[in-house]
Amino acid sequence: MKKSDIQELIQKIESFNAKSHEDLEQFRLKYLSRKGRIPELLAKIGQAAKEDRAWMGQQLNKLKQLANHKFETLQEELTESQASSFNAREDITLPPAARDIGSYHPLTQTLQEMKSVFFRMGYTIADGPELEDDFHNFTALNFPPEHPARDMQDTFFIRKDEENPANDQVLRTHTSPVQIRLMKQEKPPIRAIMPGRVYRNESITAKSYCLFHQVEGLYVDKGVNFAELKQTLISFAEQVFGKGIKYRMRPSFFPFTEPSLEMDIWWETETREGQWMEILGAGMVHPNVLRAVGLDPEVYSGFAFGMGVERITMQRYGIDDIRLFYDNDVRFLEQF
Amino acid sequence: MKISSNWLYDYIDTDLSPEELADILTHTGLEVEEVTETGFDFDGIVVGKVISAEKHPNADKLTLCKVDVGDTTLPIVCGAPNVAAGQTVAVATVNSELPIILDNGKRLKIKKSKIRGEVSEGMICAEDELGLGENHDGIMVLDNELSAGLPLSEVFGSDLDHVIEIGLTPNRPDASCHIGCARDIAAVTGDELLLPEATFSPEKSDLGDRIKVSIKDTDKCHRYVGLMVVDVTVQESPDWLKKRLSAIGLRPINNIVDVTNYVLHEMGQPLHSFDYDLLNSKHIIVQSFDKETEFTTLDDVSRKVPSGTLYICDGDQPVALAGIMGGQNSEINPDTKNVLIESAWFEPVGIRKSSKKLALQTDSSYRFERGVDPNLTLRAAVRCAELIAQLGDGTILNGVVDTHPVKLETRKADLRFQRLTDILGTEIERETTVGILQRLGFECEGTDDLVSCTIPSWRPDVNTEIDLIEEIARIFGYNNIPNPDHLIIRDIRPIPLRERFKEEVRHAAQSLSYREIYTNSLLPESFAGALENPDSLVATLNPITKDQALMRPTLTYGFLRSVTYNANRKANSLRFFEIGNVFEKADRGTYVDGVRERTMVLLGVAGVKNHEHWYAGKQEDYQIFDLLADVDGFLKKLELGEYWINRESNTNLSICYGSRKKPLLLAQVSYADKKLTKITDTEIPAFTAEFDFEVLLQLKEKQKAKKYTPIPKFPAFEFDLAVVVGSDVPAGDMIKTIKGTAGNLLSSISVFDVFEGKSLGEGNKSIAFRMQFLSNEKTLTISDVDPIINTILTELGKKYQAALRS
Repeated sequence: MKKSDIQELIQKIESFNAKSHEDLEQFRLKYLSRKGRIPELLAKIGQAAKEDRAWMGQQLNKLKQLANHKFETLQEELTESQASSFNAREDITLPPAARDIGSYHPLTQTLQEMKSVFFRMGYTIADGPELEDDFHNFTALNFPPEHPARDMQDTFFIRKDEENPANDQVLRTHTSPVQIRLMKQEKPPIRAIMPGRVYRNESITAKSYCLFHQVEGLYVDKGVNFAELKQTLISFAEQVFGKGIKYRMRPSFFPFTEPSLEMDIWWETETREGQWMEILGAGMVHPNVLRAVGLDPEVYSGFAFGMGVERITMQRYGIDDIRLFYDNDVRFLEQF
Repeated sequence: MKISSNWLYDYIDTDLSPEELADILTHTGLEVEEVTETGFDFDGIVVGKVISAEKHPNADKLTLCKVDVGDTTLPIVCGAPNVAAGQTVAVATVNSELPIILDNGKRLKIKKSKIRGEVSEGMICAEDELGLGENHDGIMVLDNELSAGLPLSEVFGSDLDHVIEIGLTPNRPDASCHIGCARDIAAVTGDELLLPEATFSPEKSDLGDRIKVSIKDTDKCHRYVGLMVVDVTVQESPDWLKKRLSAIGLRPINNIVDVTNYVLHEMGQPLHSFDYDLLNSKHIIVQSFDKETEFTTLDDVSRKVPSGTLYICDGDQPVALAGIMGGQNSEINPDTKNVLIESAWFEPVGIRKSSKKLALQTDSSYRFERGVDPNLTLRAAVRCAELIAQLGDGTILNGVVDTHPVKLETRKADLRFQRLTDILGTEIERETTVGILQRLGFECEGTDDLVSCTIPSWRPDVNTEIDLIEEIARIFGYNNIPNPDHLIIRDIRPIPLRERFKEEVRHAAQSLSYREIYTNSLLPESFAGALENPDSLVATLNPITKDQALMRPTLTYGFLRSVTYNANRKANSLRFFEIGNVFEKADRGTYVDGVRERTMVLLGVAGVKNHEHWYAGKQEDYQIFDLLADVDGFLKKLELGEYWINRESNTNLSICYGSRKKPLLLAQVSYADKKLTKITDTEIPAFTAEFDFEVLLQLKEKQKAKKYTPIPKFPAFEFDLAVVVGSDVPAGDMIKTIKGTAGNLLSSISVFDVFEGKSLGEGNKSIAFRMQFLSNEKTLTISDVDPIINTILTELGKKYQAALRS
């Protein structure tokens, strides 16, 4: 027996292919059965020269392993491919029962993303009541009594005190009153966002609802300036809407900030022509607001911003009816 | 507010397009919402000469014309009865557009066509088709002197205009007119602001014999100026004036009224014109009454006017609601000969209150309540008188009544240059700073460190340094302020537990396959009827609908509404959660007096748990036990420790923590309230668990730092115990007893079987407990557990007459 004979056998076994169990049986008989080629060769080791026995034994054992492995593999393959009948309830193409899955409301998802952006920028978070008094919702925010600025937001009143309007109670029209609570509670540097539900006494339509959600932001410290405010807002817009977003800032008016601004981003989709869309309002905290909470505006300055969670969510997903958020139609919820 | 671009060009000489003007306005803080083109520029419309006009061979009413349009002669089929050879006409050539808006919103475009077999290359136009009038009787015949081919815009002048719609913020009354807007533009571009010049300068008090003015409520009216124009002819206003007013959406009425409106929108001073001859006493008294009155305004509406509303009176007879609207009784009419012009300054708060009470907002009240320039009163009256005299062929009486009880003080504010730099975060050159202020009308006196500014009377919103800083920033341009390349963050503070835990709660609910919902916190009035104690509800005082009358005291109502909404849309297997605030009256308010506001968490299931399925089996509805299993999983996930259950009724359980004596009530788990299911039309089974988030948080705050507990070294010993007991004995009580008697080797207990049957005897049930016993010291055997089981059995026998089931 020569090494080349064994090599030849290895090649033959490796390239063997069985189309049926009959073929495979032939393979077994030819190589592995008692009278097969491999046992035959093994039996001949004893007849070989002494110095050859070691390598022959080694080689033949390897050969035997190879043949056995080949046989098992082919047998499995044939069995699998030929299994044609199964029990009706073992049909693995039968559809499984639907699994209930949980989900976060789309507004929560937007909010979570906004939070993560501001947390990265070192902001913490605060909250306050939805039912507020006049002082926190208006007066401390530099809304003079009987000022047209109060008409900017249709207000739900809970209590009216004709003698002392500062005792009026309202459903907060914005999250800005939390600024006041926070500044009264903590010492600068204050750096926090204040998300929450706010109310407007408006009829319910596709465009407006009697409530919505805002995220307020506040940063008060020594030396806080308008340029930093701009950079913060740009950074926010780029993180949420994508780097390279086109934006503009234009002067606006809120009684509690000055200078005030609104930020627009350029928004276009495949189906919609490009246009400027307002995403937030912001400004430098008005000195009167700082005074109202006992901070000296000559020492401290700050900026504040506020944005609508619904508005941003609607924009991102192309949602055109605000009521969808509150109907809770599962066909809507399961899309998020 | 609408601004016409053509009108703006009266005050600034600039090549900027209307779009560019709009862009500047937006960037100075006068946000332009829309720019729309109006009017017509006659592009493609030319003068034509009708060379021949013959009857159309196939149509009686049509005429075949050949029309010379200068460079060529066009065949045109015309339908007008008056068309004739030799006429000079207006021809719309092919591809030109007429100011006729089609159903698709586009303008009518002239096309080459065949009309009843005859080619037509244009259209001979009627007056109305060119927006030149109302006439549609036939084509418009022009002056024969006009030569063929002359563009029609050279005959009539283009009246193309752009309407700039501005969303005016309440701080900018100065910009509620064309000159105000032009001033902002000029401040940006550096162009000169061109103001109309008055030629008439009245002598004071010369009108004494014609009209007297007294102001009784001097706190509400600081100044009243009257001028008179006599011998006027009331007629239609000239084209230019009508176009100006129409462009900004005003309907031209007559030359007198139109002029007052024109001056209002030019300068921002609301004016009123009276028919002088309809005033009986010739004595204007500005006063209010302390009782309700009835008054018919010039829109022909009779109004109930609350006491305290300021009136302009003719003697004691009201003739106008001051600053809001004139009265019908002294209105300008076709026969008016002599006009009294009113120009006054009314105090903003008073006008605002009156306008709100009357639910009547006018162009006039809008401006007064924001603050009209107090130095404009006389100037605007003069401008108005001059225009009325000019357009009505009248004469201005040389005199004025000017009653001016409250005079304005000059206001000043200082701007420190260093402060400007500190607030804006960039340094703007002093020259630039002062230039901006001066162009806005501030008079500036500077030193090295600061500039001292006299504030123009038309800027009631500017009073302090920060206001000046805003003025500079907005004209300099927010987008021109450089952005820093880094942000400094110091003293980073931790995220509060409340926030972190709320997200944990949200995650726990979501991981138990609940979908989050957001429901309305405002509930309809009808909700009160479903409550045992409606007095504790917090109500809104002024809801615009009864559907928003109450603040929710529970999250259940919103859950059930969402259930019904979905069930009505064939989705009947629902698992929802919500985190939200609820409200109730309380002696000690949480944040504000008298109202308790807290956050709640709701888990709710409704309808079908499993739909019929080949593998999962028959359809099954949710049971309260499904919800209880989730509640258990939810609380385990939040790692709040051991809780216990208190049975409040057959359909309601409380989840409690702490000692039995002083329990901390955490949640209610129940069948959905029947009254609520009724008012929400919930027809499928629904179950709710409502947790008090504030209590959850309290427990979380008390939680000790997490520490690893070693995994038991020895296996547990399991023992099943079935007892027969009265059907009305609650399993929960028995478990409580077992736990109390078993000692600390008992590691868990569950119920694996419950049944009733005749073999047990009437009124009895069998209940089978599976208990696990575990020791940290050894592997337990039956000899360790047997004595415990005996003690348990004795105790169950004593307390509940339970017997071991044989």
